Amino acid sequence: MSLYLAAFGFGLVSTSVLAIAAVGFTMQFGISNMINLAYGEVMIAAAYASYGLNNAGINIWVSLLGGAVFGSVFSYLINRVLYAPFQKKGTALIGMVIISLAASLMIANVLLPIVGYYSVSYRQNVGPTFHAGSIALTGVQLAIMGLAIVLMLVIHSLLKLTRLGKAMRATSANPTLARNCGIPTRRVIDTAWLITGALCGVAGTVAGMNSDTFAVASGAGFLISIIAAAVLGGAGNPYGAMIGALLIGEVTEISAAAFSPEYKEVAAFAILVLVMVLRPQGLLAKRGTLAAAG
Amino acid sequence: MTYYLTTLGVYAGVDIIACLALNLQFGVSGIVNFSFIVFQAAGAYTAAVLALPPDSQNGGFQHYVFGAQLPFPIPWIAAAVVGGVLSVPVGLVVLRHLRVDYQAIAMLVLSVIANLVITNARPFLNGAAGLSLVPQPLSDRFNAYSPTYLWAYVAVTFVCCALVFFVSQRIVKSPYGRTLRAMREHELAVTALGKNPVVLKMTIFVVGGVIAGLSGAILVGFITIWAPSTWLYPETLILFAAVIVGGRGNNWGALFGAALVPVGFEEATRYLPQFGPPGLVPALQWVAIGLLIIGFLWFRPKGVLPEKPGRFAAATPVVGARLTKEPGVS
Repeated sequence: MSLYLAAFGFGLVSTSVLAIAAVGFTMQFGISNMINLAYGEVMIAAAYASYGLNNAGINIWVSLLGGAVFGSVFSYLINRVLYAPFQKKGTALIGMVIISLAASLMIANVLLPIVGYYSVSYRQNVGPTFHAGSIALTGVQLAIMGLAIVLMLVIHSLLKLTRLGKAMRATSANPTLARNCGIPTRRVIDTAWLITGALCGVAGTVAGMNSDTFAVASGAGFLISIIAAAVLGGAGNPYGAMIGALLIGEVTEISAAAFSPEYKEVAAFAILVLVMVLRPQGLLAKRGTLAAAG
Repeated sequence: MTYYLTTLGVYAGVDIIACLALNLQFGVSGIVNFSFIVFQAAGAYTAAVLALPPDSQNGGFQHYVFGAQLPFPIPWIAAAVVGGVLSVPVGLVVLRHLRVDYQAIAMLVLSVIANLVITNARPFLNGAAGLSLVPQPLSDRFNAYSPTYLWAYVAVTFVCCALVFFVSQRIVKSPYGRTLRAMREHELAVTALGKNPVVLKMTIFVVGGVIAGLSGAILVGFITIWAPSTWLYPETLILFAAVIVGGRGNNWGALFGAALVPVGFEEATRYLPQFGPPGLVPALQWVAIGLLIIGFLWFRPKGVLPEKPGRFAAATPVVGARLTKEPGVS
């Protein structure tokens, strides 16, 4: 039993990392209506950007900020240079998903010769270990959880309390109508990519901080959990992504404790299959948003 | 030299078969099968374990199921069957309710997970190390290393190519193929005409799976090894690049693309001098594949040999004639 309680504790940390990542991913889907398969690789690239700063002797939390800026600018550029032009040209969804997978592969393989094949880890002081029953978490892990909660609150206030958030929701719901109402959708989309890119960068770095090591090859594993969380919650819905992250984060950690850590992502996959069979629109989405359109 | 040429020939044949199958699914029907390589792998594993002796032999250094040691045509046929049978559950989950990009990510995830499971579950198919010493077809009767055998294998591969090409052409030109293309262009319209898109997609998905399984069997019979590292998900993207470059929906295009991208590309870069740190050239190869896909989708989305637009003999002249007869129209 104590094993499962400990796993539950780790699950909360995984949830935190996953929530930051999945909210960014699902917002990109919502606002640009495309699945950005390069998301996992941008996370890794940002994690390495933070690693570069951290390795130069800068504190990990300051490096995290650098990673966020890197992820932000990188995501913005990918959208501006690659995705947006193709969408403007009228490329179908089928083409967009292939383009984003190609982009993901290119990022990974540009990164590989630069950073190498080996796993790296941050120079960080994990702080004292806190105990609550059989849950044992380090200071850094608690800090990551705090950061995730703060970021979720920031995203919530952004979407619900600001004009920009309102414009984002309008653009996400119906871009043409939003444009006709005088919302500068292009600028809103650009801003959304900057914000989600920052989330992506933070997620990549905290994922690296939480696990002992990371490498370029970790990107695909990240992406699977993120896709599972986003689809489970209802793609395009940030609150759905938060709930999805909680479920996926806990299930992967507890199944890792019950079976074997090698099959962590298989649990996420099993949930994904169940969702796709039983409720493809996700937990929080309105019915019909995912129907196979003509 | 013989070995090099025959290997090249078999790889070319297998890539052509795979590209034809992917063209049926992706080019003709618009199914983004990002897990294509899984079906090829399933065929290869099936053919391998059915041809291999029980795993206690060879000193028991590798673990796998079956080990049936069946004679030649059975493993290949079984591989094709398994490729098709595996397509059924995957298709039923993925192809029914989901939007096209959801289908794509579902299959991408499947591809990653299948590889992960096979890599870690060692007793099933020998895990990350993979299967080796797979007996070549009919190797009990012929010397599998003689040049005659190698060239005969290439010939058989190309006979299979021709067969698959013939079948693909028949499918594309049949009324069924026309319906598939119509579904790709406008699914709702086809549904309104009384066609069931799920049945249409499932059928072509299973056909593609059968061909993919066969291609895996042909490959593993020649190279005699098969491991998870040979079917990672990016491999599927090479086939996509081939179909996109060649021309989506056109079987000749798939043929051309297969000869150009997987075969030409790998071979051309083999002769490049190795420069930079180890691993730089393969990494750049992947970058180039990505650029090739993005470049073609931007500049020439129809590919080198575009799909021929359908011509309907009766319709055009009638409309034209009516327009010229009525003076008020212009």
